[in-house]
Amino acid sequence: MSDTMQPAQPEPEIQSTSPLREMVSMFMRNYAAVAGLVLLIAIVLFVFVGPLIHRTDPFEMVWAPFTFPGQEGFLLGTDYLGRDILAAMMVGGQVSMAIGLAAALVSVIIGVTVGAFAGYYGGVIEELLMRFTEFFQVLPTLLFSMVIVALFGASLLTVTLAIGVVSWTAVARVTRSEFLRIRELEYVAAARSGSARDLYLIFKVILPNALPPIVVQANLMVGSAILFEAALSFLGLSDPNVMSWGQVIGSNRPYILDAGFAVAIPGFAIFLTVLAISLVGDGLNDALNPKLRQR
Amino acid sequence: MQRLIKTFVATATAAALLASAPMAQEPKRGGTLTMAIQQTPRHLNPAVQSGTATGQPGTQLFASLLRYDEGWDPQPYLAESWEVAEDGLSVTINLVQGATFHDGVPITSEDVAFSIETVKANHPFKSMFEPVIAVETPDENTAILKLSKPHPALLLAMSSQLLSIIPKHIYGDGQDPKSHPANSENVVGSGPFKLVEFVRDQHVILERYEGYFEKGLPYLDRIVMRIIPDASTRTIALESGELMLSGFEENPRNLVRLKKNEDLNVSDVGYAAIGPVNWLAFNTQAESEVSDPIVRKAIAHAVDREFILNALMLGTAGPALTGIHPGSPFYDASVEPYDLDLDKANKMLDDAGYAMGADGTRFGLTVDYGWPTMKPFAEYMKPQLKKIGIDVTVRSSADFPTWAKRISNWEFDMTMDNVFNWGDPVIGVHRTYSSDNIKAGVIWSNTQQYANARVDELMAEAGSTNDPEKRKALYAEFQKIIADELPLYPLWPSPYHTVSNKSVGNAPDSVWGTSSPLDKVYLK
Repeated sequence: MSDTMQPAQPEPEIQSTSPLREMVSMFMRNYAAVAGLVLLIAIVLFVFVGPLIHRTDPFEMVWAPFTFPGQEGFLLGTDYLGRDILAAMMVGGQVSMAIGLAAALVSVIIGVTVGAFAGYYGGVIEELLMRFTEFFQVLPTLLFSMVIVALFGASLLTVTLAIGVVSWTAVARVTRSEFLRIRELEYVAAARSGSARDLYLIFKVILPNALPPIVVQANLMVGSAILFEAALSFLGLSDPNVMSWGQVIGSNRPYILDAGFAVAIPGFAIFLTVLAISLVGDGLNDALNPKLRQR
Repeated sequence: MQRLIKTFVATATAAALLASAPMAQEPKRGGTLTMAIQQTPRHLNPAVQSGTATGQPGTQLFASLLRYDEGWDPQPYLAESWEVAEDGLSVTINLVQGATFHDGVPITSEDVAFSIETVKANHPFKSMFEPVIAVETPDENTAILKLSKPHPALLLAMSSQLLSIIPKHIYGDGQDPKSHPANSENVVGSGPFKLVEFVRDQHVILERYEGYFEKGLPYLDRIVMRIIPDASTRTIALESGELMLSGFEENPRNLVRLKKNEDLNVSDVGYAAIGPVNWLAFNTQAESEVSDPIVRKAIAHAVDREFILNALMLGTAGPALTGIHPGSPFYDASVEPYDLDLDKANKMLDDAGYAMGADGTRFGLTVDYGWPTMKPFAEYMKPQLKKIGIDVTVRSSADFPTWAKRISNWEFDMTMDNVFNWGDPVIGVHRTYSSDNIKAGVIWSNTQQYANARVDELMAEAGSTNDPEKRKALYAEFQKIIADELPLYPLWPSPYHTVSNKSVGNAPDSVWGTSSPLDKVYLK
């Protein structure tokens, strides 16, 4: 008995390659994505571990305004009030990233809900939900988020919600198309014939299988949310009591001709972060949709 | 003998003119001046609209009775001469002969009476003509203003944009002058230039009025006023020569940059009558600790005016120690300046029972700002007042009306503010402190909700005497009390500058800055 099993051994080994491991190996083969991931980890360490080492209140006026980077012991210089830009970059980075993640989460929740119901039910419900989505799609996003912040006041919460509310449409579209595809597949039909209820089918059967493109979309959303926050701050529509990268840019903007570094440094940080997130997203896309890549 | 002197003076003047002729260029006629204004005026009729956006084109379109030079001295304009009665209860105005509106209709004393009535009924600055009870017009060229009490602000209120002489035959048609169609289209004015075109957010184009009553003036053929709200854009346009003149420039970094440019003249002469003063206002009736004068004094000692002037204003502005503009003859610099003294401020708060908590804060306050250029100053308060244990929350407002609504309904602790003196204290200063001017919903009223009977008394007295020395003494006491009770902490006057290309001659330098007739401006 055991003898007969021997030759079959190599086969299970191939099959036992878990999807996750496969994904990781796909990801690792994409050097740009790996570089992005390393960069992202470095940035996360900088903003979350950095403040434990460099303990300066980013709001405290520590030195003469616009000390050039590297002078007087200020690695990144000081801003227009003489506040340490390095401290602002660290603490502000936490806020920027938190806003990015939270806003992406908000847009994923709205987008997945709308897309899932539209894709699953079809018919009138789909028609209504998609027209609703299109309504949001045609609004100029930055303008719309400005209106929201202007109406409800500039606080961390409103800024996050505003970004989330204007950027969920892409998620909704991706989710819907995935649902349209998957709901026709045999295992869904099988589950349905087992008299599974709609909500069970949507969230337990179809959604997990529709996740890969949504994850990619959500990942890119984090990057664009960080950019959005910066844009709002640049226009002066952010909470002045919370340091963020956009805030550093926004408050130093009037002095851009004289002390460009105070604007360039946070701008560069945003650039690096968004680049890293995009590279990782690209790698994730390849890794999660191997068929797409082979095509 | 008298004739002899006259002849001598005439000869001397002629000689001086001849001698100076090669040096000072003779004004030349012709050319188009491009200048900037910073926002689209609501309309072009200053008789029913305050603000310099309306004032700059408005003072070209409409003449007033008087001009004011850079030394606060009234000069004839539409009024050839004027006389204030001994008792100060009547003022006789003699109009210049042959003045006409842009449609050729003569300007008469009827129009003067009509203009004063219109301004009195519609202009936001009620105090300008409040004591005027009647305007008599014994003949076409004479108007006699009857007053209920001596009114020291009257002559100033008859100058620049404060009293535009508007045609009765146009605006007297029964329509509401505030929304009259002739306010922005087909304007029939009385000033040196007439309207060619007014396009919102774009430009106001003006052209010489050939029938202008001042002979030989204006020198310019045309004025193109481009509406450019962004200071950096104006700076670049001035540097490139695209703009030849821009008034009310106050951005410190741009000023420093423009001053280095050899093609430009950057002048801070003028604007004293606009009298813009920036201050940190307190809500004296707030629920928070800021209603306690000791807290306000401690804050004043903690705010470093020198830092603001040097680091944020880059030395373009000097200090303002009181709410009266430093350029005003009534400014009193001997009041308590509240120099930076953090120890003293901390001790004041300790002694008053505001104990410092374990986290280094005593209590929290909010500070507001109403427009983007004020943001740095509000942001400065946060780390600075932290030093005396006050946790400041900066509140941003989405737009100006949001801020104005908050402040005018007293929903604030502290706010950065900028208030104009508008010439005489009666017009622009009293409104900030007068206890009967605490009006919900009205911005730049007494939004500090400050009330002091003695202050009211001093203002009433200074506002009803024409004796400058007496007024000076009254305002000195007034400023002492304000500095002691501190409903607001004055910081600096806005450093308004006139930036002009060197090709521009006679750039405006009156106390009204560029919000005054540009009829003598010429291009070299």
